[in-house]
Amino acid sequence: MKKILAGVLCTAMAASLLGMSSFADETEAAGNGLAEDGKFVVGFDAEYPPYGYMDDNGDYTGFDLELAAAVCDLEGWELVARPIDWDSKDMELGSGNIDCIWNGFTMNGREDSYTFSVPYVDNSQVIVTAEDTGIASLDDLAGKIVGVQADSAALSLLEDGGDQADLGATFGELQQFGDYNTAFAELQAGSLDAVAIDIGVANYQIAGREGYVILDEYLNSEQYAVGFKLGNDALCGIINADLATLLENGTFDEIAAKYEDMGIPADMLCLAESLGVEAETEADA
Amino acid sequence: MSFQVMMQQLGSGLLRSIHIFALTLLFSLPLGLLVSFGRMSKNRIIRSIVWIYISVMRGTPLMLQLLAVYFGPFYIGGLKLGTMWRFTAIIIAFSVNYAAYFAEIYRSGIESMPPGQYEAARILGYSRTSTFFRIILPQVIKRILPSVTNEVITLVKDTSLAFSLAYAEMFTIAKQIAAKETSFMPFLAAALFYYVFNAIVAFGMERIEKSLNYYT
Repeated sequence: MKKILAGVLCTAMAASLLGMSSFADETEAAGNGLAEDGKFVVGFDAEYPPYGYMDDNGDYTGFDLELAAAVCDLEGWELVARPIDWDSKDMELGSGNIDCIWNGFTMNGREDSYTFSVPYVDNSQVIVTAEDTGIASLDDLAGKIVGVQADSAALSLLEDGGDQADLGATFGELQQFGDYNTAFAELQAGSLDAVAIDIGVANYQIAGREGYVILDEYLNSEQYAVGFKLGNDALCGIINADLATLLENGTFDEIAAKYEDMGIPADMLCLAESLGVEAETEADA
Repeated sequence: MSFQVMMQQLGSGLLRSIHIFALTLLFSLPLGLLVSFGRMSKNRIIRSIVWIYISVMRGTPLMLQLLAVYFGPFYIGGLKLGTMWRFTAIIIAFSVNYAAYFAEIYRSGIESMPPGQYEAARILGYSRTSTFFRIILPQVIKRILPSVTNEVITLVKDTSLAFSLAYAEMFTIAKQIAAKETSFMPFLAAALFYYVFNAIVAFGMERIEKSLNYYT
C-alpha cells in the first residue's frame, strides 16, 4: 500500500514539475497592443475548417491562421494559436488571454462589441439540407426544424432582432448545436431538416460528405474580419497595415489559393476592395 | 489525417488529461480529509462554513466553477492573468470541487466507526491523534475505497471540462480531429482511450482493496 501510494505521489509530483516548466513569466504590455510583447495570441475555434482546424500532421492551421502566421513573419512575433471554447471567447479576449479572434469572425452586427480590422472575406449565411428533403427555397423552411451553431452569426441573424428574424419566426423550431459534426449527423438522421451555416464552412462540410445541397437563396451577405478587444486600435492598426503588405506582395493570394478548393473560392476574397486597391485601378483606367 | 497521427494527437491529449487527473487527486484527497474534519467539527461556525462550502461545490456545475476560478481574479479583482494561471486555475477548481465530494466520503467512513473502538483505544492509552491515525483511519480507508474509486473514475471523465478554459485535453483533440475529418471515428478512439485508462485505474484500486483485505 505504501509503495503504491509513494508511486502515485512521485508520478503526480513529476507531472506537476513538467507543468511548471512550461509556465513563462509575464512581461509588461508594450505599445503595440499585445498583452505580452513579441507574442501574438490568436484565439480560434479549432472545429471550424477551413478557417481554423487541425491538419494532417496534428498542427493547427487554416486560412486565417496562415494569414496570422504571415503577419507574425512580418512583425517578428511568435504566433500562439490558441484553440478556445467559442462560448468563452469574450471572456478570453476581455481578460487579455488572447490578443484577437481570427477565425471566420463575422463583423456585421458586432461592431459595437469589438474593434475590427479591415474585412478580408465576403461571407454569406446559407441553408444546407439533405438532397431528398424537398426543401428548395427559404419559404419551404416554414414549420421545419432548423439547426444553427450556438453563439454564431447565423443564430443572431435568425433570432429576434436579427435581419432574418421574420424568416426565423416561420421555422418550426430553431435548434442550437455545438459543432457541425453533430449537426450533420442530425441532418442525416432526420432530426434536423436544415442547417444555417457560413458558406465557407458549408462548402468544406459538403465536400467531405454525400447527399447535401446548399440552397440557392442566401440568408444574407456579411464580412469576416479580425476581432480585437474594443479600443485596441494600436494592434488593429498594425494588423491592417500588415494585411495591406501581404496583399501587395502576393502572400495573401498565395495563401488563398491553397484554400480555393477547400471552401473559400477566390470570389469570396474582399481584402483588395476593402483596402481600396480596386478603386485605384478604376481611377487608372 | 493518418491513423498514426490521430493516435499521437489523442495520446498527447490523454497525457494532458492525466496531468489534471494526477494533480487533482494529489491535492483533493488530503484536502477532503481536512474538510471532513471541518464538517464534523464541534465548533458550530466552522461546521456551518464547511457545510456551505460543500453545498456550493456540489450544487453548482464544475464548468461554472472553472470559469469563476479562472476569470474571477480579472473580472472581480482586476488582476492580470499570467500564462501560468490557466493550468493553475484548472487544478484549483478541480481540487476544491473534488475535495467536497471526498470529504463526504471520508465522513461516511469515519462516522461508521463504532464508538467502542475509541473507548477501547483510550483505555489502552492511545492519544486522540494516534487513535485516529493508527486505528480509525486505516479501517476508514478500507471501507470507503469503493466509493473513492467511483469518484476517481468520474474524475478521469470530468477532465474534459477543462476545455472551457481552452486547455486542449483529449476530448477536445478528438472533437477537433472529428471536425477536420468530418467523421465520428475519432470519438470512438477517444472512448477507447478513456475506457482503457479507466480500466487501469479500476484495476489499480481493486489491487489496493485486496491488499487491504487483511482481516477476512
